[in-house]
Amino acid sequence: MADANVKAAALEEKEPFFGKKERKALSDPLNDNNPITVQVLGICSALAVTTMVKPAFIMALSVIFVTAFSNLAIALLRKGIPKQIRMIVQLVVIAFLVTVVEQVLKAFNYETWKQLSVFIGLIITNCIVMGRLEAYAMANTPWRSFLDGIGNGAGYGVILLAVAVIRELFGRGSVAGFKIIGSTNEFLLNTSQISWLGWYQNNGLMVLPASAIFLIGIIIWLQRASNKKLVDVS
Amino acid sequence: MYSNKYITVYTVIMTLIVSVILAFLVTGLKPYHDSSEAVFKKKDIMGAIADQIPSDLKSMPDDQILKLFTDKFEQVVLDANGQQVDGAMAEKVDMAAEEKKPEAERKYPVFVYNGDKGKVYLLSVRGNGLWDKIWGYIALGEDLNTVVGVSFGHVSETPGLGAEIKDNPNFPAQFKGKKIFQDGQYVSVAVVKGGAKNPDHEVDAISGATITSVGVSDMLQKGLKAYLPYIESLKTAN
Amino acid sequence: MELFNIFLKSAFIENMVLSYFLGMCSFLAVSKSVKTAIGLGAAVIFVLVLTIPINWVVSEMVLGPNGIFHTDLTFLRFILFIASIAASVQLVEMAVEKYSPALYNALGIFLPLITVNCAILGAALFMVAREYNFAESVVYGVGSGFGWALAIVAMAAIREKIRYSNIPAPLRGLGIAFILTGLMGLAFMSLMGINPATYFQQ
Repeated sequence: MADANVKAAALEEKEPFFGKKERKALSDPLNDNNPITVQVLGICSALAVTTMVKPAFIMALSVIFVTAFSNLAIALLRKGIPKQIRMIVQLVVIAFLVTVVEQVLKAFNYETWKQLSVFIGLIITNCIVMGRLEAYAMANTPWRSFLDGIGNGAGYGVILLAVAVIRELFGRGSVAGFKIIGSTNEFLLNTSQISWLGWYQNNGLMVLPASAIFLIGIIIWLQRASNKKLVDVS
Repeated sequence: MYSNKYITVYTVIMTLIVSVILAFLVTGLKPYHDSSEAVFKKKDIMGAIADQIPSDLKSMPDDQILKLFTDKFEQVVLDANGQQVDGAMAEKVDMAAEEKKPEAERKYPVFVYNGDKGKVYLLSVRGNGLWDKIWGYIALGEDLNTVVGVSFGHVSETPGLGAEIKDNPNFPAQFKGKKIFQDGQYVSVAVVKGGAKNPDHEVDAISGATITSVGVSDMLQKGLKAYLPYIESLKTAN
Repeated sequence: MELFNIFLKSAFIENMVLSYFLGMCSFLAVSKSVKTAIGLGAAVIFVLVLTIPINWVVSEMVLGPNGIFHTDLTFLRFILFIASIAASVQLVEMAVEKYSPALYNALGIFLPLITVNCAILGAALFMVAREYNFAESVVYGVGSGFGWALAIVAMAAIREKIRYSNIPAPLRGLGIAFILTGLMGLAFMSLMGINPATYFQQ
């Protein structure tokens, strides 16, 4: 057993710092193994925050932070964690990191903290975090787990942002608060005066929660249509 | 397998480490929490009279907001009979908590803004929307009759429908210039469906959000009524 | 009356799955057959009914400024909530295994899953955010559990039927499940005019 450990350690040392495996840990979750559209994890906690780009962006950053550092922490601790209380240890680490995120956000961006309210706390039960800890961090080196965490957080963030951009653009005619379509007199062109520019009426469906689910369904459809190996045969 | 002793020690150490780090973090961040909460609340109050504030509220730095608030705002707290309560700060009055008290014990906050265009009286109101509570600040001009601005907030009205009271700037904008008295009689401002007819006392409802609109009407009617004794006393004093 | 209103709201109108998307992971993974869906739904109701009051006590008696420590410990809320949920799920699992093996066989495999079901923690956090009192939080727990179970059973029934439909290949499975959930959410929204409190007032 001790022998195997030494061998494994030697093997790890020989591997490059940022080799193929590291790159794979980082890039795989962005498409082929996307946590939302392929692994179907972590849809729960955050779709209700995708009506606008800004809170979605902050949510995505928080999730990346939590996945990355919880993966790192669990990978560091993985040899000492007693098997019987593994789940609780993981949950405490996650809950700790989420509390840190919440407290920092409350201190420096109170408005967004108010907007996200309970959804920050729900990162704890975001299945991505727990899923990656079980599937990856318990069996890999800290550095690689850290990258895997960033990759998965980012894969999640990409979908979150895509949904938020579409919902805000069509639901409110703006992106990240900057008016793009519809009538406004706030920016360069006064589109409330020029009728052919101000024709757009906000789509009420897009601000309703259900639209987020439709959009993810469509994103999955498009992704599977272009990436045939993901098609569900059952 | 690990022994029970190992597990117990492990759990205790982990719990200690986590709670100590968190306790330090929270203590360290406490001043930031308090100041951002204060700024948020003040911004919320000033939102009703955004066009009377010297600079743009959205891009105003935090310390300027606090300075403006201490320099230009007077705070008055009223009891249920409209009498001023000595030494009380209006920003300490929590409308949500007041609402749960019996009517005779409630306190009402008033913020008086001493701006360039004369005094503005900011009154706080609270009521029921479709799902949950809604609230607002109503700004009355120096004549204590004309509405110079309003802002609304809500807990969970439907996005795109009821939530428009806050999200759509055109809704609060309609209230500007409305009057709450007619020939000395209190009538408030009503939100009506199918086009406002009375130019002084009616605004258009949000289509598809009837219950929220009625809620806003009710909130104004009942909420402003509580301030009537105070308004009367100010009028006679002038 | 207020209690009935909370039940109605949490079960139908502000349904955990259909309007907040909480508990989607297990909702999508376990809704392939009605029988397993009923099992998981029952388990969720069970755990919610148990953990919401427990978490109410934790947040009022331990974390709040009026609790046993007389200090504001709300920053420990997440950790204590998730720990109490994990612990009660574990206890329920052991108790059920010991006293009712039949029920354990029906629910057993789902129980560990429930700890990380967002609906449980979500309901606990909503309960705090909305400042419910003890009775209200009990009703809220029952209502949201019932709503969650209703949604997953309905979803499973639809997915059983839809197996015989000719859906474009890339949309099959997950894709169509998402779109179905969205449609169900829209359907549930039509219940939103219902407000028994105002009805009985008049």
